[in-house]
Amino acid sequence: MYAFDIERPTTVAEAVNALKTDEAQPLGGGQTLIPTLKARLAAPSKLVSLSAIAEMIGISREGSTIRIGGATTHGQVATELAESYPALGYLASKIGDPAVRNRGTIGGSVANNDPAACYPAACLASGATITTNTRDIAADDFFLGMFETALEEDEIVTAVTFPVPQKADYQKFEQPASRFPLVGVFVAKHDDGVRVAVTGASESGVFRWTEAEEALSADFSAGALDGLSVDADGMITDLHGDGAYRAHLIKVLTGRAVTASR
Amino acid sequence: MKTTLTVNGRSHQVEHDARRTLLDTIRDDLGLPGTKKGCDHGQCGACTILLNGERVNSCLCLTAMHDGDDITTIEGIGSPDRLSALQKAFVEKDGYQCGYCTPGQIMSATAMLREVSEGAPSYVSGDLDGAALTDAEMAERMSGNLCRCSAYPLIREAILMASEAET
Amino acid sequence: MKDHFTMDEPQPRVLDETKQGVIGTPMDRPDGARKVSGTAGYAADHKVEGMAHGVLVRATISRGRVTDIGRASVMDLDGVIEVVTDPRMTRNPAQGMAGEAPVQPGDDVHYHGQPIAVVVAETFEAARDAAQRLVVTYRKEDAASDPDATPDTEVGDPETAGDFDAAWAKADVRLDRTYTTPSQVSAAMEPHAAIAEWTDGRVELRSSLQMVRFNKAELADTLGIDADRVRILSPFVGGGFGSKLGLGPEAVAAAIASEKLGRPVRVVMSRQNVFDAVLRRSETRQRVRLGASKDGQLLALSHDDRVSNLDGEGFAEPVSQASQFLYRADGLSFTQTVARIAATPAGSVRAPGEAVGMVALEAAMDELADELGVDPVELRLNNLPDTHPMDGRAFSTRRLADCLQDGAARFGWADRWTRGTRREGDWLIGMGVASAARSNMLVKSAARVRLQGDRAVVETDMTDIGTGTYAILSQIAGEMLGLSPDRVDVRLGDSDLPGASGSGGSFGASSAGSATFLAAKRIRRDIARKLGCPEDALTLQNGRARGDNREADLSELIDQELVGEAEIEAGKTDESHFSAGFGAHFAEVAVNEWTGEVRVRRMLAVMSMGRILNEKTARSQALGGMIWGIGTALTEEVQSDARDGHVVTRDLANYHVPSHADVPGDMQVVFLEERDDWANPIQTKGIGELGISGAGAAVINAISHATGHRTYDCPALPDRVISSLAP
Repeated sequence: MYAFDIERPTTVAEAVNALKTDEAQPLGGGQTLIPTLKARLAAPSKLVSLSAIAEMIGISREGSTIRIGGATTHGQVATELAESYPALGYLASKIGDPAVRNRGTIGGSVANNDPAACYPAACLASGATITTNTRDIAADDFFLGMFETALEEDEIVTAVTFPVPQKADYQKFEQPASRFPLVGVFVAKHDDGVRVAVTGASESGVFRWTEAEEALSADFSAGALDGLSVDADGMITDLHGDGAYRAHLIKVLTGRAVTASR
Repeated sequence: MKTTLTVNGRSHQVEHDARRTLLDTIRDDLGLPGTKKGCDHGQCGACTILLNGERVNSCLCLTAMHDGDDITTIEGIGSPDRLSALQKAFVEKDGYQCGYCTPGQIMSATAMLREVSEGAPSYVSGDLDGAALTDAEMAERMSGNLCRCSAYPLIREAILMASEAET
Repeated sequence: MKDHFTMDEPQPRVLDETKQGVIGTPMDRPDGARKVSGTAGYAADHKVEGMAHGVLVRATISRGRVTDIGRASVMDLDGVIEVVTDPRMTRNPAQGMAGEAPVQPGDDVHYHGQPIAVVVAETFEAARDAAQRLVVTYRKEDAASDPDATPDTEVGDPETAGDFDAAWAKADVRLDRTYTTPSQVSAAMEPHAAIAEWTDGRVELRSSLQMVRFNKAELADTLGIDADRVRILSPFVGGGFGSKLGLGPEAVAAAIASEKLGRPVRVVMSRQNVFDAVLRRSETRQRVRLGASKDGQLLALSHDDRVSNLDGEGFAEPVSQASQFLYRADGLSFTQTVARIAATPAGSVRAPGEAVGMVALEAAMDELADELGVDPVELRLNNLPDTHPMDGRAFSTRRLADCLQDGAARFGWADRWTRGTRREGDWLIGMGVASAARSNMLVKSAARVRLQGDRAVVETDMTDIGTGTYAILSQIAGEMLGLSPDRVDVRLGDSDLPGASGSGGSFGASSAGSATFLAAKRIRRDIARKLGCPEDALTLQNGRARGDNREADLSELIDQELVGEAEIEAGKTDESHFSAGFGAHFAEVAVNEWTGEVRVRRMLAVMSMGRILNEKTARSQALGGMIWGIGTALTEEVQSDARDGHVVTRDLANYHVPSHADVPGDMQVVFLEERDDWANPIQTKGIGELGISGAGAAVINAISHATGHRTYDCPALPDRVISSLAP
């Protein structure tokens, strides 16, 4: 770990100001960033902790949408959304382990855009809006590739707003040691069609499986996926499974998600 | 830098490097080595503490982020001559072998039993309304705490024993 | 003063005659309250005045020489005290029971990850920062790091009995299979740690070590000083499993840095360091050939293996160890090949040999049973040898047949269905069996017992690595002296105390336990004399001595401390009789036909392993071993970069040790009564390793029974299982 300064602002405005220093970096719950610092894969001059910013913590229902503050932990989402958006609550309840869920935040997860993170799949499939200190960004425009997002320097994810679909489900086949998904599939049935988002599988990060979306929009049943397949090209091959296996899992998990959606 | 923490009911002001984790602060600065370092990467659970009542990996907390926070470590749960029900159950069921992960298991289980009593959901069962604390439920809720000696079945027997003693 | 005992003849069952009645009971561990309250002191827990913090620097080339350690690049950093290099530094931990310095490579680098220096600073953060920042300059050399591709191999002479080729030619059914297991690591929860402090030319080392008697000699030899200038303290060890048998490079680095800087130094390995620089279990490639007659008699048995290690390490995973004594055959043959590679060296990890060798042998036995159309339990029962197949020694005690039969009955084996025919939804269900076997040893050990009125103290440098030594030694001394074990204080892990075997090879309880037994027995002689009765008339119970119509409370009879010290070593019974623990593992699994995920639903082990000293800690040991079997079968795999040998799976998110969620609640262990009079005077056998030996095979065989297809490469990861199902 390189040496750094650390600040702990209590408002978004203070945080944005603190981030104006060269090589300053926001720190959410730290569940990814702190090990990254220990491995010296990041070298910020200053860390700006977002965990004391009250306006970024909490969940509110606004009509048919749910707004989750960027510094809200996975544990809070798991507990509070169990009724109002069970698929999202369930997703949050399966991230890492309980200790990680008590610290890790939704803002940190979407800003990091790990190719195997769970939340990006929920954002894409739900058609969520990512709110920063300067603007609103549609999920479709936000996730640009592995660890890449539309965020500018000094931009903080202050909230994520999810439209609640008619039905949805998340299925995750996890790498048992890290509990990151080898593949995770979020299926959401909206008034205007079905969205299917896949995480963990692609070398380009989270993506929408459009063929499945078309098939399921016409017929929302696992059987509608018969005949479809995912190309193993571009799928991640690593220690935990090869690309062909991941491609196979995408279809298996999509079918399960359709069947289990509620 | 300086940070004020309340640990096991006592207030401490510590002076520390910005890079210091709560784990190293607790072990080396506050002289409470019961909290263990197993991986320093949030992968093993040996460093589990209660932070404002919730279980967290103290190796993934920078001390500077926790000014004013309330912390409970294994030393705050019970001492050798005044063990908590859970600690006694671990001894009786042999829910450990080498003992190194044990403080983390007990901290995690202490929080877990409270979470269950508050109805926190898990994916094994949607909720626990009227449902028993099954073995599968405990296995999932304790999955962040590794035990290489692999006392797992006995750890869960101990947790069950303690939970039944409380109710 | 010290009794010396050599195990030359079978021994009477004294512990069945004594009256305290605590042997075998499921007594709680006396150290339990400290462990659950966080007050048991592990090596790195100690705070020493003026202590500096050291962090090891790892080599980032696989072979070559350090030409400049880059000291100047970090000396300006706040808090950095020194970058310490020294020709006495060691490249890796000593092998178990070495008793001498490991390889001291000087400036040479032999593998990627080798510790090449230690950075010492006022704070851990500064030391870590500097260790990571060091700009080291190397002169690189070429070296092969891929165990399958290296040209440098050593092929051993075949170990044989009978004529394998002739027997193979005669066989009606021949099975020739190759199985692989990956490299594995101990991954003890406590990373290797040491605190060294010099006082008046004498070094005191607190380190997490399993074999203090040997470690003391290793440190003295490494530093080039007399052993009487070394003291090692290791009262609590946060798991070892073989990884802490020998003195580690962190301990040497702490001792040298402390000497040079004139202040105490603590060096704790990071988890990544532990993966890089602690001895791993070699990967194995195993060819098993079984030839049998139509009626299911084994005629030919061959188990050849290929393992790897770094140059200069004498250890080679003894893969076929159990294959050489489990079953009978007319011709047996075993050949080992050792591939030399520039990579993290290999050494002992729980049950070296059996842990992975039995996965292949017992899978092959299962396949043979299928080929013959014989029940796998029957096939094993039908092929048990009368004597050791390789050297003709008699078995001391062996209840393998009882274990298989008893286990089959308890597990519901008779209800087992045809392979590949049981499903529950998407899950395919199967049951598997495997024999368990692990050779048993007695290693030279000493212990001292002090009786002070009605309290006793046991003193030995033996360690408790989670195995329950504190418990069993208090039970043995209590039983022999007629005291409740809570009146016996056990002091361990201090090299100033009588030297024992240490914890390894499952021989610790038998060896140190026997020494404690003999030391206490000597005190019984003194008590009898004081009471005025012959020793064989003496009864001791609950602090009271009786004999020849005399009786007295020990608290009154023993007015001066009585001290007994004894040492035991193996003798003629080892030449006449072969002693091993035996058992049978049963597993039931569910395999998801769409994802290949395997869930273990329940396991049972029935074991005969001599006298059980403490039913509770023995059960824990057995369960732990069985769960390691789950890890071998399903999750554990070190992966390395074939180009430079560097370990890729360097943390616990990439090397998957079984977690709560991988282990079912239904894990049963049954011990069958046994006394091994030929093994030692307390009739015990080793426990810690029998649980893993064969356990993985039972899981692998259950997968095959569930799916109707076999996986040949461990672990049976989901993608491998799915591939095995493909037509």
